[in-house]
Amino acid sequence: MQTQRSIRLPARLDGSQLPFVAAIAGSLVVAYALVGPQQFSNFLTIGAVYALIALGYTMVYGIIELINFAHGDVFMVGSFVALWILSGPLGLHGSIDNPALLAVVLVGLFLVTMLILGALGIFIERFAYRPLRNAPRLAPLITAIGVSFILQNIMQAFFGPSPVNSPQIFTLNARFDVAGASIGYLNVFIVAVAVALMIALQLFVGRTRLGRAMRSTAQDREAAELMGVDINLTIAFTFFIGSALAGAAGIVWVLYFGYAVFNQGFYAGLFAFTAAVLGGIGNTTGAALGGFVIGFLQVAAAQYGYSRWSEVAIFGVLVLVLVFRPTGLLGQQLGERA
Amino acid sequence: MSATASRASGARERRSNPLRALLEAHRSLAAILGMAVVTAALPLLAAMPPLNGFNSQGVWVDSFANAGVFVLLALGLNIVVGLAGLLDLGYAAFFAIGAYTYAFGASPFSGNDFPFWIMLLIGAIVAATFGLLLGAPTLRLRGDYLAIVTLGFGEIVPTVFLNADKYTKGTNGISGVYQPSLAGYNFTFTDPWPYYLTMAVILTLAILAIYRLQDSRVGRAWMAIREDELAAASNGVNPVSTKLLAFALGASTAGLAGAFYSAKLTFVSPDQFGFTVSFTVLAMVVLGGMGNIWGVGVGAFLLFIIQSVLLKQLNPFFASFGLTGIDFLQYQYLLYGLALVAMMLLRPEGLFPSVRRRRELHAAEELPEEPVAAEAAEGSTP
Amino acid sequence: MQSRRIGAIAVAAVVVAGACSSAATPAPSAAPAGSAAPASAAPAGSAATGSKYVTIGVDLPLSGGEFANGDPTKKGIQLAVDQANANGGIAGYTIKLSVKDDAVNGVHNPQQGATNVQTLVADPTVIGIVGPFNSNVGAAEIPITNQAGLLQCSPANTNPGLTKPQYGALDIRKAFPNRINYIRVATTDDIQGLAGAQFAYNDLGKRRAYIVDDTETYGKGLADVFEAQFKKLGGTVVKHDGAPSSTTDYTPLLTAVQSKNPDVVYFGGVTATGGGLLRKQMAQVGMGSLAFGGGDGIVDGPGGVEGSFITVAGAAAANSFGTIAATHDIPNAQAFSQAYQKAYGAAPGAYSASAYACTQVILQALQAVAATATSPTALREAVRAYATDPTHKFNTQLGTISFDQNGDTSQHIISFYKTDMTAAGGKGDWVFVRQQDFGQSSQ
Repeated sequence: MQTQRSIRLPARLDGSQLPFVAAIAGSLVVAYALVGPQQFSNFLTIGAVYALIALGYTMVYGIIELINFAHGDVFMVGSFVALWILSGPLGLHGSIDNPALLAVVLVGLFLVTMLILGALGIFIERFAYRPLRNAPRLAPLITAIGVSFILQNIMQAFFGPSPVNSPQIFTLNARFDVAGASIGYLNVFIVAVAVALMIALQLFVGRTRLGRAMRSTAQDREAAELMGVDINLTIAFTFFIGSALAGAAGIVWVLYFGYAVFNQGFYAGLFAFTAAVLGGIGNTTGAALGGFVIGFLQVAAAQYGYSRWSEVAIFGVLVLVLVFRPTGLLGQQLGERA
Repeated sequence: MSATASRASGARERRSNPLRALLEAHRSLAAILGMAVVTAALPLLAAMPPLNGFNSQGVWVDSFANAGVFVLLALGLNIVVGLAGLLDLGYAAFFAIGAYTYAFGASPFSGNDFPFWIMLLIGAIVAATFGLLLGAPTLRLRGDYLAIVTLGFGEIVPTVFLNADKYTKGTNGISGVYQPSLAGYNFTFTDPWPYYLTMAVILTLAILAIYRLQDSRVGRAWMAIREDELAAASNGVNPVSTKLLAFALGASTAGLAGAFYSAKLTFVSPDQFGFTVSFTVLAMVVLGGMGNIWGVGVGAFLLFIIQSVLLKQLNPFFASFGLTGIDFLQYQYLLYGLALVAMMLLRPEGLFPSVRRRRELHAAEELPEEPVAAEAAEGSTP
Repeated sequence: MQSRRIGAIAVAAVVVAGACSSAATPAPSAAPAGSAAPASAAPAGSAATGSKYVTIGVDLPLSGGEFANGDPTKKGIQLAVDQANANGGIAGYTIKLSVKDDAVNGVHNPQQGATNVQTLVADPTVIGIVGPFNSNVGAAEIPITNQAGLLQCSPANTNPGLTKPQYGALDIRKAFPNRINYIRVATTDDIQGLAGAQFAYNDLGKRRAYIVDDTETYGKGLADVFEAQFKKLGGTVVKHDGAPSSTTDYTPLLTAVQSKNPDVVYFGGVTATGGGLLRKQMAQVGMGSLAFGGGDGIVDGPGGVEGSFITVAGAAAANSFGTIAATHDIPNAQAFSQAYQKAYGAAPGAYSASAYACTQVILQALQAVAATATSPTALREAVRAYATDPTHKFNTQLGTISFDQNGDTSQHIISFYKTDMTAAGGKGDWVFVRQQDFGQSSQ
């Protein structure tokens, strides 16, 4: 029996999507009521980071059914690349106050970092995963862990084992007051970037030739190949996009937290993976949703004084969701793997 | 290491060997004999070059006893992952439960002093109970959803031990856990032999039990489920109870290992049972050759020795070649990562793939003469 | 863990340094170091050259993320040994090091620590061990060294449970409860937490504390003592959160506590487990002007030193205070710092001086007993007995110290520091405020 895998995306908005949209809107209202406006902004920001990382997990899983444990470390490399570009070639130290210049630097930063990270993704796929494409399923899982070790150690060799500070070019003091909360423009920017990238991804997967190739490869690799899809190219491209999105998450991280450290990818990756599964692995909308859910759980745990238990809360919710919806929040019922 | 591997796989091809045939027919006997030979040979090897250049024999024996804990863990995880095909990424949780169970049963902190031998069983039973509790609601999940649930469980358990400080002494851990004693003889730190021999006996019994299980109705049901759950179910195998049994047995093995571990170390703390333990054990199973009991055992043993002894000796090792300027210790996980990737690329089915699995995987190809080369070639041309 | 004394003391000290080369301290009672007079017997190992040697074992986390902790600590030991050897060895012995890494997969591991100690115990030339770094590793190692009778000196452990009977230490040294083999140069958490609470309440006049700990042994222990003592003084603890070292986003915690109006934030932990990031993010959410305090885990050197609190927190590090369990006016602090800098091309780490002091204790004990011991076993036992005798004083980098009946340092002086962002040429540094002897007050 052929496994049904797919990178799913919702069809264009029509009546059938209304309950979903209403559910999301309702959840946001409840979340807002529970934690208040300031924490609402906090959770959207950190949730956006998790969502961007989770997208890469879910796309790779959707197309080759690999839990890519090195993905969190790809995100970490993204942070260091961004940090290096800012402090190395650009030689920046503090914030950039000229909005036009800031925009130029940011666009350039995203373009270059995402390209470099995309290339890294292709490289990893080519040498660590492609040779094992027909091997037993757990073999690439172990190489993924090996790749994770390698990336961490290389970055540690270059940047040292301590957190490295990065210039925070987007000033944190630019804030505006709304509903009694003081919201940073940076928070708004981060959420906007994440949402924009997600929409771009949906459009790409839904509307382009390569996107169609990705979906067909995910659904049935052999049939897609018979139809003339270049499988290697398609899978490599999936890694490119997933890693570039992780790179974007890495940039956002550096802009927001102002540092990078060689092992930051472990927990971020773990939570992002959880987010992908929570949303229904293989489903890009679900991954984004899962990212925000986890961001919310962390913030809520902090708000109510249970930060010690936030991991337990995250994984507890995960277990509960899966018990009642075995394929995640938005996952479709799939046939058991043959 | 690859030389050993190809020799071993070469040996497997020679099926006509009568001794081998006898041992194949009487697996229990083979297991007992094999373990006896290994148990006797390891300390002898340790006393000879090059091993005695690293450590004294006593320290090696101590390391072997520690390695036995991981061999036991790998054997247990092999039931879950290798035989029943359920990916468990939080196996360390059951290890932790076993270790803490022993610490509750025999330490000044709890005030209890139950004998080690009984606590071994209790540790296994408690871990199995938690395995059932976790498995019952989640085992109907599809493969990788189960993996993440187990991963979550593996994170939750140490966090609970960490935060429930009233009952577990939290981050400080429970120290002064009692060491075993047998017929009036007290185990001590200075003499590793009793631990070593105890572990050898435990491993022998575990291997015997797992062989029995693997060849039993249950074992065949596990493999049927691993290969095709739908087909197995329609042939009368109850997937839920069969999977639960695998999960509980795997957990109980980890519980046993945990009880032994805490009795030997005399200390348990939450930070000893993180995700790294889970994936190390998984890597042991996959590298050794999933489904193959001996392969998994050897894989676990080698990986443990590499991690805890050989990687730690990199500096003296390279210094003996005159390379002293670089701190290799610092880069040991770069080398470890490279080794993991290289080993998987060279032998995707593990060092010692299970014969049955190999047949299954290559059913259409009539078992090639040179399996290693064939696999490699096949791997690179998808 | 703890005792990040070096940064503040060695680097920032305004003490006029003595001669640069005097860091290799003469032994307190025996003949001057470097007298090549052969001892009556050659109890320990003999190298191929015929000169006799002893080994000092080192057990620290030396790989992965913990390399940052272990490596500068190891270099402190290395420096002491190199200086002793350059002066002709100790009582005719050349000193060798046997360095063990207790990290597995990049994280300190009690089982690996136990294995390392077994290895060192089995080597007859080992007369003492410097280490471990982490209290949990110590809890697995002390039972072994206690049974074997091998001296162990930790530069960084502060968990009271490792030494003090009322915290359960007798369970750890079960084999020989009265034969002390484990000593440490760091003052325990219970004293430092008390000092921090008094400083916040009395000196700074703070009344509403928000406490964050990193859920690890040192951090949680310190934070719990701070909480109890701060309440005892009459202060209010508005909230006590635990944020594991995996936490990177502290803004939700800080946002949640803002409405409770704390006037001081106390962090139990070290810079690497979140101290610097927490302080940095306080500024981001507009709490940057609040006082911030911690133990020696955050008093780890000036701005610019890789991974130090002031480096990580940047400008936000202003208005922070910290305690260090040592006297401020240590002789030769500058000399040590310079010698370290010269040898390794970097400033000393937070625990380099403690590790250096531990090594000095072992070497001074060796100096004192070398002539009397006739076999490796006897030498090992003599060194242990000498070092743990409460009547013996050691002249170390941390001042003159001795060890009490449990192996804890006699040194109960706590020094208080505050950040001054104009110090160290504008990079910011910790400056000395005052010091106080807490004597036996916590016991």
